[in-house]
Amino acid sequence: MEIPTETQPEVEILNKLMKKALVSFVLAGVAFALYRSFALMPAYQGLNLGLSNYIIESGLKDTGSLNLITAVLYDYRAFDSLGESTVIFGAVSGIVLILSRKMLPVSSKGLSFIVKRTLGIMTPFIALFGLYIMSHGHLTPGGGFQGGVILAAISIIFSIVYGSAFDYRRYSPQTKTALETGGALTFLGLGLAGILMEGAFLQNLGFLTAETGTLISAGSIPYINIGVGFKVGAGLAIIFYSMIQKTFEEDF
Amino acid sequence: MFNNLIFIILFMLGFYALIMKTNLIKNVIGLNIMEAAVFFWVISFSDVGGEVSIHKLGEEVTKFNDPVPQALTLTGIVIGASTAALLLTLIIELNKFSGTIDREKIEGLND
Amino acid sequence: MSWMNIELILLIALPAVIAVFMAFSSSFKQRTRNILAVTGAGIELYLVFSLFFLNFEAVKNSNFFLQYTIGYSNPPFVINFAMDNLSLLFSLIVTAAVFFIVIFSTQYIRDKESRYFAFFFLVLASIQGSILTADLFTLYLFIEAITIFTTPLISFKKTEKTTRAAMQYLFYGITGGVFFFISIILIYFNLGTLKMAAVAESFVLISTPMQLTIIIFFLLALIIKLGIFPIHFWLPRAHSACPAPISALLSGVLLKVYLYIFMRLFWTMIAFDFLVELHLSAFVLDLALVSSLIGHVFALQADKLKKMLAYSSIGHIGMILAVLMLNTEAAFYGGLLHIIAHMLMKSGLFLSSGYLLRTTLSHHIDDLKGIGHKNRLVFIAFIIICLGTIGMPPLIGFVSKWFVLLAFLEARHYFGAFVVGAGSIIALIYYLRYISQAYETVKTENKTLREELVSLKVFFKSTNIMKNIIYLFTLLIIFFGLGYKFFEIPINTAIFELLNPQKYIELVLGG
Repeated sequence: MEIPTETQPEVEILNKLMKKALVSFVLAGVAFALYRSFALMPAYQGLNLGLSNYIIESGLKDTGSLNLITAVLYDYRAFDSLGESTVIFGAVSGIVLILSRKMLPVSSKGLSFIVKRTLGIMTPFIALFGLYIMSHGHLTPGGGFQGGVILAAISIIFSIVYGSAFDYRRYSPQTKTALETGGALTFLGLGLAGILMEGAFLQNLGFLTAETGTLISAGSIPYINIGVGFKVGAGLAIIFYSMIQKTFEEDF
Repeated sequence: MFNNLIFIILFMLGFYALIMKTNLIKNVIGLNIMEAAVFFWVISFSDVGGEVSIHKLGEEVTKFNDPVPQALTLTGIVIGASTAALLLTLIIELNKFSGTIDREKIEGLND
Repeated sequence: MSWMNIELILLIALPAVIAVFMAFSSSFKQRTRNILAVTGAGIELYLVFSLFFLNFEAVKNSNFFLQYTIGYSNPPFVINFAMDNLSLLFSLIVTAAVFFIVIFSTQYIRDKESRYFAFFFLVLASIQGSILTADLFTLYLFIEAITIFTTPLISFKKTEKTTRAAMQYLFYGITGGVFFFISIILIYFNLGTLKMAAVAESFVLISTPMQLTIIIFFLLALIIKLGIFPIHFWLPRAHSACPAPISALLSGVLLKVYLYIFMRLFWTMIAFDFLVELHLSAFVLDLALVSSLIGHVFALQADKLKKMLAYSSIGHIGMILAVLMLNTEAAFYGGLLHIIAHMLMKSGLFLSSGYLLRTTLSHHIDDLKGIGHKNRLVFIAFIIICLGTIGMPPLIGFVSKWFVLLAFLEARHYFGAFVVGAGSIIALIYYLRYISQAYETVKTENKTLREELVSLKVFFKSTNIMKNIIYLFTLLIIFFGLGYKFFEIPINTAIFELLNPQKYIELVLGG
């Protein structure tokens, strides 16, 4: 009776190896086929055929935004960005729904005094950097999403350094939810304003444009950027705090 | 040509992790590698050797890279992040029920 | 110019706005919330119906077309929405089904309704968006949005089973989404545009192996989303784990939306000839037929009511996909009619099963004993809908299956005809299994005819909305079974769109 108990694992391991080898082989085959197919792809066509040339040539004139990527995101393809922020909204509410437990997230008491002090000094600058990235989305690399992520990072650093109860007490989930909804409604409101003033949904508001290169130029793009930034920041912070609630039970 | 090769290799690695690994978190990582591979590929392929598509005041730039794929990638990244967060949430929740994140040990997932 | 067709934006924006309201309605009274939900869905339905009736002449002459361009309306526009007869048909039936499901769920869901309705309306918004959009990337966005928004609804009950189902659903959904994204990116790299109409015009210019890659990635994504045979594991679990109205939404409505996307992609955007040229159409046809057979066979051995219904969905979707791949006028007629029929029947079945299962211990077949005695009329409605699904003469299921069968015979595809017939027979067996179980008497209540009449009177007086919705679905199935000619005009004009994609392309690109 000893023989089967000893051979059993070996057979299983062999089976697993066989399976792995088979899958690897198939994937390698698919990879080779794909490579052969992609090799036939012409050199990059986007510039010559599509709209990209038009956007590059007259993007600055149309939108007043130096950053053409922002111009595409919040002007030419603004509807996609609106849908995308709705997706974040849905994901955040979904995560809150799935993980809803009325529990105060306390995982740790935080790090040492030195770290706390240092972060205390640094935080305003990080926040300023985030706000800068957000509000200069139409002038420099960056924009609402990137700035929002930096703002969310502050919230996450708080929970690591000061203990997770700190941020929760300072800025309650209600505040974050309000910020998130406010950001989404800003976007939607600017879109509706586009209908009323310019005649098309999400059209750039022409009367807000100013001299190119200044902070408040490029029509509604800076405002959308700020709205999206707060929305993303608050949303990611909510996701993070929903997820770490689990540690409450373990660490006590 | 290199970007195609690297895209395919990364994509297949991610796909392998997605279907072969039994750890659910590793599956999520595999999925994210797949997405990241696509995004790298998009950005690298649309690079035609021009400037980053941001005008500089007082400077005439003759050749820009295409801004559209970069905007598409940004949207894709955000969607990928939301889905990854949702997946991880569900895994956390599943771990509470069954006490494991091993795909083969969770009842009824592999039948 | 763009003032004209602002309704298209309204169709998408209205449910989204209601969803935001709903997300913060936890302090509302329940009555207020229900009224808001029903009114919202009602306005949506009214909008679509008014589009249909106001443009009835245009619809009849097959030149109905609405378009809304976002932002720059001069030629180099970027994103636009378009509605032709095909989208109108789908928008119409989807909104109608969703309206009834909303009314049902106002009574059915008794917990966390604000979140529930928020997600429900977000799903509705993304469904409308994916039906109306004429831009590939926006389509991708909406498909992903549907996947993300339905996931919390699947894990709504928060048990281990639902969480597992939701996780699996999300894994498969995102993988499909990644494939879809690769396809879109390949199209952009080759053609430099994301407008479906512009892609349709210049798809010929792509080299053949590249065309093959693009089509295969699209097919993979849609096969995953539709739950066709090799990748169907997630579907029965996801569709049976969620609350009954969501099952009805997923199985009755969402699968049809994916079918619509399939048609939009492979008939309007990529002409069907390419599929035939690359020998993919025959392959997909056989795959869908095998999937149909396998779905029915698996339904035979499913021991849980909702799982059985979900497997039966796989069978029907496979059949519809197969008949569409025949690419003849008769096939489109049968397929589109069966889409409508299956939407009505599966929604009705899931809703009534949700109602019936409230009184049982579990979904397992052994616990269904005597359920037919407890809820007589609802169970009779359930049986009638089951008969419709099998294909009994006076019901709509028969009419649509008949046309599907005719299409297969006309194309001399006998395996397809065999699958339709065999599916019906297998379906008869597995429905009878449940029905006989339900009438197995545990305790006999000897009701006399008089008592029956009294209870019938009570039925007419009773204001149980859930029951009434189930009866409504049953009546619709009987009514449209007799009067399927009602769908003649919308379906025929939709077929016109499928056969003449040139019209859509020209109108979108023309302005």
